[in-house]
Amino acid sequence: MRVKPGWMLLLALWLMPATLWAQEITRPAGLVILDGRAAPALALSDMDGKTTDLKALKGQWVLVHFWASWCGPCRREMPTLQALQQQIKGTRLALVLVNTAETDDEVFSFLPTVAPELNTLMDRDGLATERWQPRGLPSTFIVDPEGRLRYLALGGRNWASAEYVSFLNALLPR
Amino acid sequence: MSAMQPSGVHYRTLTHLFNTNFFWECGQWPLFPVLSYFLITFSLLSATVAHASEPGINQTSGITFSISVRTPEQIRAFYTGRGFPEAAILELESKCLLTVGMQNNRQDIVWLEPSKWRFVTGNGTEVPRVSRDEWTMRWTKLNIPLASRATFGWTQLPESRDLYPGETAGGNIVVVPPADTFTVEAIFETAANKNGAPIKFKSAPLRCGNPSGASK
Repeated sequence: MRVKPGWMLLLALWLMPATLWAQEITRPAGLVILDGRAAPALALSDMDGKTTDLKALKGQWVLVHFWASWCGPCRREMPTLQALQQQIKGTRLALVLVNTAETDDEVFSFLPTVAPELNTLMDRDGLATERWQPRGLPSTFIVDPEGRLRYLALGGRNWASAEYVSFLNALLPR
Repeated sequence: MSAMQPSGVHYRTLTHLFNTNFFWECGQWPLFPVLSYFLITFSLLSATVAHASEPGINQTSGITFSISVRTPEQIRAFYTGRGFPEAAILELESKCLLTVGMQNNRQDIVWLEPSKWRFVTGNGTEVPRVSRDEWTMRWTKLNIPLASRATFGWTQLPESRDLYPGETAGGNIVVVPPADTFTVEAIFETAANKNGAPIKFKSAPLRCGNPSGASK
């Protein structure tokens, strides 16, 4: 059977976007797809008393990262989050850190030494973290612009690595 | 097994390759990439074997598992440093904390369920474990602040967790310290619906310390 070149070209053009999409949102290992349920409420203040409400960030992707200074993987991961923060400036992707159940003194004696550019919300009694039910610390949820839970990162990782940066960039509108 | 010796399986595979046409056809290949491949492979194998032989770390059936006893001094230092009240520190010091670390290196789910593990002394006596629910009751009775309860909770191993491929988990489990040594018999169900073959570990004998610093 002869296939006309014109039809082949048309087929190739039709398949191309799908191929590009598949390449762009290749999910890094250790990132689990969630069921898209609504993200739990999150409205906390930082050490300066400035409150951030997740509801106010609707319309953009948000990384909600739970951590504590006593947790080894959290400590190793923090500089990579700062590097990611630099790379996502000006995009529709926001990074929200939530410290779990530590005091201002504990956070202040740790965070500026490893990631001075980062700020964190303070879940002082640990109840907000409990509502989100992370699988452990650290845990990072990726929330879509409609406020739904889309991905969960299992444990610590290098957020500044090419695979994570390209994955996160692929989520953003062109 | 020495870290420098290849395992039997890999040695047999290499011998087999050596005796086949496949190996000799490799004479047509560039020498450097082929040698590099084998050197890298051997390095990785040696590293794996060396890691597996580290004391306290068990690797079998795609699971890496370690368990060790925290001394009372370590317990006091950690939780005091986190601002725990003295009543909570004393309660924790009177128990025996075991730190568990594990990683699922398999392609399927592994279930972490400490409630199914057995803690047994040399003469067969069961060692009671203090569950998360029991801790919640103790903290309520002692009026421990919410922040300390939360931190304590996040330092404990979950009661039940489906570990995804590649996922790690770590934390403490608490037992009532026996006078004698004891072993931990851990069992892990596998597959999402737990119908895979279970994996079992038995620890080396463990001994809890006492708050005075001397071992019991």
